[in-house]
Amino acid sequence: MKQCKLWFGGAFGLGLIILANLALAEDKPALITIGYLNLVNAQLISKHMGWHEKALGVPIKWVKFDSGGAVNTAIAGGSIDFGGVGNPPSAVGVSKGLPYEGIFVLNMLGAVESLVARTDKNIKSVKDLVGKKVAVPFGSTTHYLLMAELKKEAVDPRSVTIIDMGPVDALAAWLRNDIDAAYIWEPSLDKIVKSGGTIILTSAQMAKAGYPTWDVAVVRKDFAKKYPTLVNKFVKTEAKAVEFWLKDPQQSAEIIAEELALPKEDITRMITGTTMVAAKQQLGPTYLGTSNKKGGFVDTLYSTAQFLAEQKRIPAVPDKALYDAFINPAYLEAAVMQKQ
Amino acid sequence: MMDMSNTEPLHSSATIVKVDQDTSRSARVIIRLARPSTERLITAATLLIILGLWYLATHYQWVPGLFVPSPLSVWRALVEMQQTGYQGHTLFEHLASSMYRIVTGLGMALVTAVPLGLLMGVNSKIRAIFDPLIEFYRPLPPLAYYTLLVLWLGIDNTSKIMLLFLAAFPPLCVSAAQAVKGVDPVLIRAARTLGANAIQVFLYIVLPGSLPELFTGLRIAVGVTFSVLVAAEMVAASSGIGWIVLDAGKFLRSDVIFVGIIVMGLTGLLLDKLVRKLEQLATPWRSCG
Repeated sequence: MKQCKLWFGGAFGLGLIILANLALAEDKPALITIGYLNLVNAQLISKHMGWHEKALGVPIKWVKFDSGGAVNTAIAGGSIDFGGVGNPPSAVGVSKGLPYEGIFVLNMLGAVESLVARTDKNIKSVKDLVGKKVAVPFGSTTHYLLMAELKKEAVDPRSVTIIDMGPVDALAAWLRNDIDAAYIWEPSLDKIVKSGGTIILTSAQMAKAGYPTWDVAVVRKDFAKKYPTLVNKFVKTEAKAVEFWLKDPQQSAEIIAEELALPKEDITRMITGTTMVAAKQQLGPTYLGTSNKKGGFVDTLYSTAQFLAEQKRIPAVPDKALYDAFINPAYLEAAVMQKQ
Repeated sequence: MMDMSNTEPLHSSATIVKVDQDTSRSARVIIRLARPSTERLITAATLLIILGLWYLATHYQWVPGLFVPSPLSVWRALVEMQQTGYQGHTLFEHLASSMYRIVTGLGMALVTAVPLGLLMGVNSKIRAIFDPLIEFYRPLPPLAYYTLLVLWLGIDNTSKIMLLFLAAFPPLCVSAAQAVKGVDPVLIRAARTLGANAIQVFLYIVLPGSLPELFTGLRIAVGVTFSVLVAAEMVAASSGIGWIVLDAGKFLRSDVIFVGIIVMGLTGLLLDKLVRKLEQLATPWRSCG
């Protein structure tokens, strides 16, 4: 008898929870999952300040990702709603038909990503890397840039031992003297530089040479379709964080230092190695562009895809229209309009 | 001769051995043709049904191609990986570098864990030294200490082989110790009565007596080593079948992942078959496995 009551109570409670969830699901999801990249950009400010929680009015689960490749997998599995990816992973994702779109420029990568080599080995350029061991996280922006630079300098990639390592592993391998160079990003980059490394190439230089790299915020298409206003608010909040960063780098550094538990001087240096693009500028021809006339990001994606196909990383280069469709400035346009 | 009543009906080779001993050669041939074929048919049918379902699921796009690539695209990936290679090495070369790691790790475990296990089985004081250590690290997930191994031993093959060695060690050691304890004491006493010394008892009674259990341990060890292969090739590898699976994941190449998994499965199966063959050769008296 007692058990019977328990069962009944349990079922009743469960029913209530389901009902409550259903009622909520009509206008807002019960929880939004945002995947963010483990690097330094303005998203850390919006995260730290809890701006998204306030603006969207929904509990948010933040999940940290070490690489855009992992974000792709999470998007494919439907486990995150928003994410951040660089141009190589998004070129891969689009070629595989991942159901997502790029809605906001998180950051342009500069000196925050650099190729660092052992000072005592007298490595001056990638040409000196022949016969050496280089660590790079495969599938990332720096992997793409390393391969591009090797090609540009006519160095056979097979003459260099390129090993797949995340920044943290690369740091450990560096300290053990296992590798001669690494193309990675902060904060591991600085630790390598401080223990006998010299920077021989930065992503800023590569951007000037015609290989820009950046990270965009992405949203799952079915989420965007179901909750367009939430996506709007998300973009607006990210724009606010970028504005904050541009207006007050000092305080931004303080906030990010707290978020990452790193010394402020380090953050200040990292901040100068990353470029934030103001919302209005993002709608310009260099970046996302407008819904009617997409910007340079489409070309970058397309050439990245061509490069990856050459490297046999993707089976074939898909139609450029797919990349055009991936870049979706509509939400940002709405956000900028609302502000004016 | 062992009791034949516990013959596994599914074990065709065992059946042949049994038949071979008490029926004529012609009967054996008939049985070889007729009996296993029922089971083989069932096995073949199961495989065909799975393959058919796989084909249908992808052909009618019940699931997106990103999640489950079609059998044809997997086949194409396999051919391409063998002919033009996957990131610098052919599929076979990748498999060879994985096998080198596995066989070295396993071999090292075999020559250290088995003697130690046998000693632990014979001598309770030695067991008292090593037992707690092995029992402590045995249940640890290999990934938990892999980072440490990389820190200590570097990113080259040494840390990878070490990980495989450490994974293969406990099952071999524990089963060796167990095997010694399982040897019939009557046999030992009989040998002693006949004047055998400690070494002779060990060589002629304990060692052969523990062989069957040792092989069981070896089979488990092979399985365990294989299952940590992907983990072992996670850090700083650029070759190996486990690395292929991880690398392909980063580029959403599910067709390549499928190839990697199928190849791994088949190699695992082959390795197990090999060990079983060795077992039959080494312990012919236990032919029923």
